[in-house]
Amino acid sequence: MCPHTSLKQQFLKKWIMGLQRCSFSKKNMSILERKKTIKLSADIAMASARNGTTRWSRALISNASKDGSDNRLVQQILGPDSNTPAATTTNKAGTRRASVCKKIVKRSHQIRRRRRKCVAAAPVKAVTSSISEHLVRKRRQVLKTLIPGGEFMDEICLIEETLDYITSLRVQVDVMRSVASACFSQS
Amino acid sequence: MELNAGAGGNGSHKTASERDEVAALESLQFTDEIRRLMSAPGGDNASSFTALLELPAPQAVQLIQSPDSAKLIAAPAPAPAPNVDDFRGSFQFPFNCGLIDRAARFSVFAGDGNINGNNKSNSPEPTSYNSSASLQKPVKNEPAETESSQPLVSDPTVENRSIKRKDREKVKGSSKKSKTSAKESSEDAEKLPYVHVRARRGQATDSHSLAERARREKINARMKLLQDLVPGCSKISGTALVLDEIINHVQSLQRQVEFLSMRLAAVNPRIDFNLDSVFTAESGSLMDSNFSGMVIPMMWPEVQLNGNRQQYPQQLHLDAFQQPVSGREEVCNSYLTPENSLLSYDSSGNSASLHSNQLKMEL
Repeated sequence: MCPHTSLKQQFLKKWIMGLQRCSFSKKNMSILERKKTIKLSADIAMASARNGTTRWSRALISNASKDGSDNRLVQQILGPDSNTPAATTTNKAGTRRASVCKKIVKRSHQIRRRRRKCVAAAPVKAVTSSISEHLVRKRRQVLKTLIPGGEFMDEICLIEETLDYITSLRVQVDVMRSVASACFSQS
Repeated sequence: MELNAGAGGNGSHKTASERDEVAALESLQFTDEIRRLMSAPGGDNASSFTALLELPAPQAVQLIQSPDSAKLIAAPAPAPAPNVDDFRGSFQFPFNCGLIDRAARFSVFAGDGNINGNNKSNSPEPTSYNSSASLQKPVKNEPAETESSQPLVSDPTVENRSIKRKDREKVKGSSKKSKTSAKESSEDAEKLPYVHVRARRGQATDSHSLAERARREKINARMKLLQDLVPGCSKISGTALVLDEIINHVQSLQRQVEFLSMRLAAVNPRIDFNLDSVFTAESGSLMDSNFSGMVIPMMWPEVQLNGNRQQYPQQLHLDAFQQPVSGREEVCNSYLTPENSLLSYDSSGNSASLHSNQLKMEL
């Protein structure tokens, strides 16, 4: 994973600094809370390593800063450069309404299309292609739910964001795994 | 037109469809202009016309060659698949001139079905317009990008050549058609600074389908990248299955993150990995030096340090390196030496990452 070394360094640094910051808030936490904090700080570190260039990172940060309990944590983790969450939350509210409207319109189109297909005697080729399109569409829906902020993206964006997200996840997993193994090797 | 072309070239991929439409519209306008140009010499005799045309044919080929080559050299291919596009472009270029040569020598250039139906020499303009429409668009679009003087010179000559072919009225059989169709299909999409898509044989040439096709190709290029990234995806054909694999991969990575964070939470009673000791023990020199110094105390929170040699099989040489954790190093020298070796391993570099070395060793 040589090309990702700098990214890993960056992620690790941000993660540890974030953990430092949130540890000062509470001293005794349950294991689940700890896990949640660790995961959250890791995610935020990963997202902030992108510096707002990708949509999934912005969506992740704004998602995390939306909830009241996590908001403080996120603010602490991000520290002084925390102007992005405020901007993205407002953006998200507007786009959410737009996306809901879009979904309704899309569904009505689909229903209309289905009705038209039933009426017209579609040849076999059209039927099979429509089946494959249906499958692909379903999977695309699933992918949209997986990637943070994916519901608002069109196809091309979605695929690009998936690429970036997969590489970031890989970096995250590698770093966490080596940290965990290092910690375990001592105990 | 070049201004429009230049302005259109800077857009993001969202405006690609608009750009395609603009390009298509430009090409249509251009064909009108060419038609007007052609109507002037339309009254000539057939014989003098062909005599006139004999000369410019090879020159026209050269002219077509040069904008092609200039285009190929100058055009920065867009991001998605630069290698493929350049390759395709370079493929098309010798194909192009060879076939044009052959077609110029022999007979009718059967681009559409209309040409064969309309074999009169009296009406060269509309038929040649039809016949050369598919050829004209890319030829016109190429020169429109590079130089302004060239299109007016090259296009009339190409047009005239097609007229000459029409006049001869020799309709070859399916061999010619297959050649031209092969040529058309081989040079379908030229990836220029903004997208020009050549119409395939028998396909609609309106702007919507062109834009749709350009979008499709973009999506396919990105899907290929994804296939290369996700392991085990390159053998699978079919979008749905590939998407399945990608979804599985993303889900497994997310689950791994969850699992690892749970594991880390279980290891340490405190989540800050004993960084308080870091703060108390040193000054700010830790921060500006390699931050792997932070990692070292992290590794041994409240632990008896034995010589854990198994974790670090490689033992590099022990260098003198500044000890950020002065208080702890005496506790276990044997444990420190791997640290040392790891850090000295790339002490020459910038901020040494213990982490990257660790990864290198573990991988």
